[in-house]
Amino acid sequence: MEDARMIAAWIAPGREQTAAGEEEGFRRLYEATSRSLWGYLQHASGRPDVADDLLQETYCKFLLRQAPSMDEAESRSYLFRIATNLLHNRFRSRDDAALEEPAECGAQTDEETRLDVQAAMRHLKPRERELLWLAYVEGMSHAEIAAATGLGAMSIRILLYRTRQKASTLLRPERIKS
Amino acid sequence: MKPMSCEHESGVIRALHSGEWSGELRRHAAECPDCTQALQLAEALGEAARRAEAGFQAPDAHWIWQQSRRRSREIAVRRVTRLLAAMRALAAVYVAAAALWLLRGSAALQYREVASSMHGVSAGFALMGTMVAAVCVVAGLWPILRDSSEAS
Repeated sequence: MEDARMIAAWIAPGREQTAAGEEEGFRRLYEATSRSLWGYLQHASGRPDVADDLLQETYCKFLLRQAPSMDEAESRSYLFRIATNLLHNRFRSRDDAALEEPAECGAQTDEETRLDVQAAMRHLKPRERELLWLAYVEGMSHAEIAAATGLGAMSIRILLYRTRQKASTLLRPERIKS
Repeated sequence: MKPMSCEHESGVIRALHSGEWSGELRRHAAECPDCTQALQLAEALGEAARRAEAGFQAPDAHWIWQQSRRRSREIAVRRVTRLLAAMRALAAVYVAAAALWLLRGSAALQYREVASSMHGVSAGFALMGTMVAAVCVVAGLWPILRDSSEAS
């Protein structure tokens, strides 16, 4: 609750806080969201180094565009939207194959689940990875996913259904039964 | 017919994340093939997320804050630089116009028509030129004075 209060105070309209107070509010928002945002970027891009870059860029853009009337949930949703846009820019400006290479970190582990998920994610399109992650890891509603990805809210359900079917067939049958 | 997922899928995933299951939802999730598949996928992805995030080293929040402030200043400087460039262009136009006026004035001096050339239209142009110059100087100095006062 303390975190929520600090973040709300920071993003409230007409704030008259010192720079130190604003930075403290940002720090709390950052601590509350950076881990999950990085996970999203890492799995959607398939590259931890890209995720590191885009994470910093996401927060910088967020700070520059500070929307005054956002609460914590809206800030989180907005962060995911910025991150998704940055991912798309990255996909457009660079060779897609470079972003779909297997991630170095963890590739040597014998953890079956992780390898299965990594392998399955590599076979999915970037948009499909984003949808899966936002829906099943972040637990976003279809409306929230639509806001984060820029897709139509009505099409999320059907896209998600198809992506889930595809991911389930890619994952080991003994873990995910289709 | 379009393929559609179960309408309870979102609720099942929310329950998985919050841990707040109703008996009815739990029974549905166990019986519905769509929701079972979604649950298994969410658990597999969640496990992968936890493992990946365990190795995540977050960059310092203060560093990101400083980066954004620095970028904000750069944007402000670029904005002011554009204004200064516009003022410079305007000043160049003014100088050219003033040069033309002086040439005309010197020609008038040569023919002893200084007094008549300084009246009417010419005097009006001279006054307008002076005002434009004053505006250019003030507009050019204003951002510099503002930045220096903020810095102090």
